Amino acid sequence: MIGQAITLIGAVLVLLGAVGVLRFPDPLARMHALTKASTVGVGLVAIGSAFVLPTANDITSAIGAALLQFLTLPISASLLARVTYHARGIPSRVDAVDELADRSPPRP
Amino acid sequence: MIEIAYVVLGLAAVLFAGRAIAGPSLSDRVIGIDGVIVSGMSIIIVNAMDTGRGAFLPAAVVLALVSFVGTSVVARFIEGRGE
Repeated sequence: MIGQAITLIGAVLVLLGAVGVLRFPDPLARMHALTKASTVGVGLVAIGSAFVLPTANDITSAIGAALLQFLTLPISASLLARVTYHARGIPSRVDAVDELADRSPPRP
Repeated sequence: MIEIAYVVLGLAAVLFAGRAIAGPSLSDRVIGIDGVIVSGMSIIIVNAMDTGRGAFLPAAVVLALVSFVGTSVVARFIEGRGE
């Protein structure tokens, strides 16, 4: 029962990330919503399935998928955010200091 | 309770797909497709919980790897093209 409850919390977090991706105004904010909510959501779904699944082989597969998502999703989001910043010129209205402003754009 | 998780994850996949279809720039489409892959991974894990058989769980691992490689390749492509 506790496994199903944790899985449901993770699923609701994935849904909140989807609402954020659909509703936020610019690509960097959408990327923020996807990365934060989806890493925690998939992690909670995998932890909840580890309470329910019978064999150790299945549990390690589910936890391995969530661990791989933890490792790779921030890296790919960072790559995509950097490229999006340099390509489209996002207006810096969130932070007072723009740390990427004086960096040279990446080579074509 | 498992059925509610199926419905919630399916709704999330539909919302992500809406952003992937309607995204103004290429980055938005990549974000939407990444979200659809995340929802698919979660649905695979929830299905393994529901049926008690984990035969499809390696597909979730493969989906995580494919998502990372695909996003990195599209990032390099946007960097070269400049959109």
